[in-house]
Amino acid sequence: MSRMIKNYIDGEWVASAAAHSSPVHDPATCELLAHCPDSTAADIDQAVQAAKAAFSEWRSTPVLVRAQAMHHFKVMVEERFEDISRIVVREHGKTMDEARGEVRRGIESIDFAMSVPVLMRSDGLEDISSGIDETTLRQPAGVFAAITPFNFPFMVPLWFLPTAITCGNTFILKPSPQTPLSTELLFELLDELDLPEGVVNLVNGGVPSATALMEHPDVTGVSFVGSSPVAKIIYETCTRNGKRVQAQGGAKNYIAVMPDADIAASVKNILGAAYGCAGQRCLAAAVAVGVGDAYDQLKDELSAQVANLKVGYGLDETTQMGTVISDAAKDRIESMIDRSVDDGAEVLVDGRGFSVAGYADGAWVGPTLIADVQPDTTMANEEVFGPVLSLMKADSFEDAVQIINQSRYGNAASIFTNNGKQAREFKYNVNAGNIGVNIGVAAPSASFPFGGQKDSFFGDLHGQGMDSIEFYTERKIVIERWV
Amino acid sequence: MATLNTFGAVLSHAIAMEAQLEDWYSRIGEDAQAKAAAKRRKMLERVRRENVVEITLEPIEGLDAADYQLDLADAAAARRVAARFYQDAAPKINVRSAQRALERCGKQHLR
Repeated sequence: MSRMIKNYIDGEWVASAAAHSSPVHDPATCELLAHCPDSTAADIDQAVQAAKAAFSEWRSTPVLVRAQAMHHFKVMVEERFEDISRIVVREHGKTMDEARGEVRRGIESIDFAMSVPVLMRSDGLEDISSGIDETTLRQPAGVFAAITPFNFPFMVPLWFLPTAITCGNTFILKPSPQTPLSTELLFELLDELDLPEGVVNLVNGGVPSATALMEHPDVTGVSFVGSSPVAKIIYETCTRNGKRVQAQGGAKNYIAVMPDADIAASVKNILGAAYGCAGQRCLAAAVAVGVGDAYDQLKDELSAQVANLKVGYGLDETTQMGTVISDAAKDRIESMIDRSVDDGAEVLVDGRGFSVAGYADGAWVGPTLIADVQPDTTMANEEVFGPVLSLMKADSFEDAVQIINQSRYGNAASIFTNNGKQAREFKYNVNAGNIGVNIGVAAPSASFPFGGQKDSFFGDLHGQGMDSIEFYTERKIVIERWV
Repeated sequence: MATLNTFGAVLSHAIAMEAQLEDWYSRIGEDAQAKAAAKRRKMLERVRRENVVEITLEPIEGLDAADYQLDLADAAAARRVAARFYQDAAPKINVRSAQRALERCGKQHLR
């Protein structure tokens, strides 16, 4: 029996009262790494009560002290950088470079939190009426929670936790039960920080744990990243329970490639965008729309290069693409490829039935390239969340924009071009929250909000950037007269 | 020997190479050279940690570890191989600060 992961509540590692748990596997080697408990409503309540009790002391801790804690935290993460990256590889299946990139992005969010003493300041105005001054105060709002996904198990929690607590809130994290090990290490580091008990709490589990958090009356707000159907449920449940919520959902990200683009350079970047993290990211390039002559060039160049990507175990530095998260994911992705064939598309590079020597039982799906995908098919419209890039043809720039805007998702879209005017038109007219120009993964850095429109986002304030300061604070207006 | 086809593979090869030099110089009592190799190794570890940005990760072509093995019996030749590795690798990295670090290491081996 492998070890059961513990929760971290009120400054202590505690066993969950859970009767159920789920196994955590290395998706390449299939080694059983741990068991993740399905924390009960009582576990969740214990965490919320601890966070609630800690709030008063923590909010009155000087903001510079809170920011200084983030400085120490960053140093700890830097020191354990390689260890964390290896754990991410082992529980997720991505490559070392991708894991390192994820940890780096997480650190950028800690950096951002260090600027809270500046960003939390507010404004005021003297003499709004005779002898009366008016001031805005920005205050922490209470207990916040985040429900985070398997695909960036270390980075996504850091989109939320550092800013939330540096603003003076207390926090509860519920990571994905498929990848709880990097957040366990995250909390080992937080434990070393010696924050007051209850400021940060970790509860492991699945849907029942998440539901208990969303329905708990003492939780002020919830951040979520995951699929669109679940994001919608999270949004509806949280709003029904009177909470703030930011729920980032899934995506179907299009890339338009114009005839004037540098095809070789574009393809190199598109490879990373489509097959990085085995396509399991909400900013993954899913459909490349070749405009006019670009379509055939794109098809030829991609066909040649996709087949050459080295798929393997992530801990091997020369691996360019790792596994998908589980056998269930593999089955789902392969059945979507089957469906695209039934719908008349042509599979140019087929990743179905893929295997890697030495890792026979791993959750492998090879990089897949599908041509002639039609706009009304499942492959053109539904999120695959796997290493599958579809090719579509558009006759003109306007047609490409129309194809992109027909999507019910609006997470990201990119254009590859050397024409500044068309790049501007693209930025102006495409309905997506993150726009890339000659870059396939339009991932905002920590000081910008992570955009998302239509079915890719439910809520008002996005994660990261100034939106996160708004989300994690309450504004109070003070109107004063002294006579 | 492996193809150095990723950012991490290139940087890890450089780090291993400097560690090998550091160890060898220490054993033959060339302390200043050992210290310089250790400094380069630490800088490269930092570069690997700080310059890996997932939005710009792209496949790397045309570098093979087999072409850059150090024969420590001939120190001058080993340094020339190291310099050649850095000269070949730097243009293939698409992050300027990492590129600059590799160029600097190459220049130091040519001194």
